[in-house]
Amino acid sequence: MPREAEPSLNEKQFVTQALQENLRLDGRQLDQYRPLEISFGDQYGVADVTLGKTRVLAKATAEVTVPYVDRPLDGIFTIATELSPMTSPAFEVNRPTETEVLLSRLLEKTVRRSGALDTESLCLVAGQKCWSVRVDVHVVSHDGGLTDAACVAVVGALRHFRKPDTSMEAGRLTVYTPAEREPVPLSWLHSPLCVTWSFFGDDGETAVLDATWLEEQVRVASCTVSLNKHGEICQIAKLGGTPVDAVALLQCTSVALVKVKEFSDLLDRRLAEDLKRRDKGGFMAELRAENDR
Amino acid sequence: MTVTTTAPQAALGVLPRSDGSAKYSHAGYTLTASVNGPIEAQRRDEHAYEAHVEVIVRPAAGVGGTRERHLESLLQSSLAQLILVKNFPRSLIQIVLQVEDSPENDYVNTKLVQASLNLAIMPALVQTAILALLSAGVPMRATATATAVAVVHQDGAKKTVVDPSPREVETARSVHVLAFTSHNGLLLAESEGDFTVGEWDDVYETAKGICCRAGPAKEGTAMVLDDEEASATDMRQFLRSTMESKVAADLHWK
Amino acid sequence: MATGHPVVLPGETIDPSLIPSHPKNPLRLGPGLRHIPPTDIVPTVAGQLITNPIKNSMWIEYNSNRYIPSPNDLILAQILRSTTDFYLCTLSPHTAPATLPHLAFEGATKKTRPILQPGQLVYARVALANKHMDAELECVSSTTGKADGLGPLGTPTATSTAGGGCAFDISLGFARRLLMARSREEGGVGVLEMLAGEEGGGLAFETAVGRNGRVWVGSDSARTVVLVGRALQETDRGGLGLEGQRRLVKKLVREMR
Repeated sequence: MPREAEPSLNEKQFVTQALQENLRLDGRQLDQYRPLEISFGDQYGVADVTLGKTRVLAKATAEVTVPYVDRPLDGIFTIATELSPMTSPAFEVNRPTETEVLLSRLLEKTVRRSGALDTESLCLVAGQKCWSVRVDVHVVSHDGGLTDAACVAVVGALRHFRKPDTSMEAGRLTVYTPAEREPVPLSWLHSPLCVTWSFFGDDGETAVLDATWLEEQVRVASCTVSLNKHGEICQIAKLGGTPVDAVALLQCTSVALVKVKEFSDLLDRRLAEDLKRRDKGGFMAELRAENDR
Repeated sequence: MTVTTTAPQAALGVLPRSDGSAKYSHAGYTLTASVNGPIEAQRRDEHAYEAHVEVIVRPAAGVGGTRERHLESLLQSSLAQLILVKNFPRSLIQIVLQVEDSPENDYVNTKLVQASLNLAIMPALVQTAILALLSAGVPMRATATATAVAVVHQDGAKKTVVDPSPREVETARSVHVLAFTSHNGLLLAESEGDFTVGEWDDVYETAKGICCRAGPAKEGTAMVLDDEEASATDMRQFLRSTMESKVAADLHWK
Repeated sequence: MATGHPVVLPGETIDPSLIPSHPKNPLRLGPGLRHIPPTDIVPTVAGQLITNPIKNSMWIEYNSNRYIPSPNDLILAQILRSTTDFYLCTLSPHTAPATLPHLAFEGATKKTRPILQPGQLVYARVALANKHMDAELECVSSTTGKADGLGPLGTPTATSTAGGGCAFDISLGFARRLLMARSREEGGVGVLEMLAGEEGGGLAFETAVGRNGRVWVGSDSARTVVLVGRALQETDRGGLGLEGQRRLVKKLVREMR
């Protein structure tokens, strides 16, 4: 498969040189994100996030299965990330690239390991039955900032998702279909989000937020901070690259908190709007049912 | 709980980084397609005299399995007929279809891994792929339109349902997908279930009426048609008006 | 849409009255049309059918993103690597490389050929394009032996002192409009004139527009390069008319000051 096209020498040199003058190719400030937008699908658990020209789609699903033997009291929660040739023809189906592995590990650490979803609440019958919640992340268009956008999409999809209602009666488990009982939301504890810094220059002295794909190809180091709006840091990943001053990293974390608060507010707002839209539909549906009788 | 749109909707060029793309929603299905090409083909896919057409179908949830491979092979052979593959020897035209949303059956809890064939999604796949190819400007012999028709036996009476819902597919005696080229040729016909030749002929006529309506009807006649076939949408006219607005936007400077 | 230039889809029949019939000149078919012997002319892409009765030619006007090489096009190529006799260059991502012979530069001989690094941008002309072969490029006019502005971009030459500059992606249709001899009147783009003129406050910059959808902008000031690049990309993406372009240029100049 043809490899991802490298940017030209002219572009590489120019991006670095311009950043030293606090200039970015799209005219943004160094700590300015591209416009972030979230929308939800007709079905529960579909979140569509756009960040400039980057677009990520996440879909949450749930099914009843048998829990792992060593964790009989926990449900199963997985995040599946696969970059398709839609992202770029350089990605091949069933052949993970470095970008893909790093993305899925960061999401795993941010969302799953931070206990954002209460997996114990997914247990139905200890050791026998539990819910398996799965989020599929589809990168539809890649123009940098994948981790940040994907994280918003995953959190959005899970918070939007409703799993079928269940009941236990005399040791018999009943899973209701959506026609019988309205599905119920997941037990969600906190919303961790990612903010990625990119560093440029010989000593990584220029820190830039939300790098585009071209900037990502030129940067000397990057650092992803995951935290929730209460300022609780879930993870910091600085994978290789040029060493960066510790004080600068601290500075980055505090800016990240401001951004995460902004994103959380946007997410809350969009979820509330969607709930309102659905509620209206539900009311109309009830009216229609009335007429049928 | 869901808000399903009945009239087809489409947006072209939704993915800025691919050569051509389209987002299409109809009958509860929402899909996005990207087209890249002609690009360099891998050695194993290279043909000396024509372009290799690759179709990839990606489900919204779970990894693609046999079901997706089957859909891909159906699409591949249909689309390779339409694309002028001889224009680009030794190259690759890659079509990726991402399912975003599909209608759910409220009466069953779906399992993630399903071996059964989902024919009802086929028209949306064909339609999205064609729109994306047009948006990419890939040279084609003709365009195509597709529709799904189910034969439902209800209270002893037979009924043909256009664009069946998952519930109708489940209860239907047979489900058919037909695609026609813009030259009124039958491009694809896939059927599933138990049906007679007579039933198939009915299905064929219904589908042809939706896919191959001749030219834009005049105001007066359009009204009459609407009364007769209230549910039927004119796919060809839809394709045309979508492309007309795309071309007008592209050539605003003319 | 004007009735004279109808929108056509692949495979549709073209109204015979629209096909120009010049008594002497042969009929010339441009992009997007194919001839099925004996007499059928069928569009292969969706676009507007344009006919020119004087030149007895017809073609389909449409916009796309994937460049397909055709002879005499000016393009912005990127050096991939060097072999013994030629450079391999990329014209668009994920496509087979084009070749640029070491000797296809002004005054180049075996001993004085230019040394280009991988990744270097080159402004070149397509010398040979054929669907069964990789495209061949040249940076020198075969008739005059002069470079005529072609060659590596962003390196100081006799005519230019600009720095490395930067390349920006644009759509193929926009690149074509920029390259029109009278781009303001025929193509409806005046953004470059405006930037250099009164609206832009007389910015000093150079451009090289490639038909493959890339434009190189060079200037002594990085600020100017960014400004020009953004103006071009936003004009293309937003589908701006001349008045919109004027407003954009004024807005950008104010913002970037």
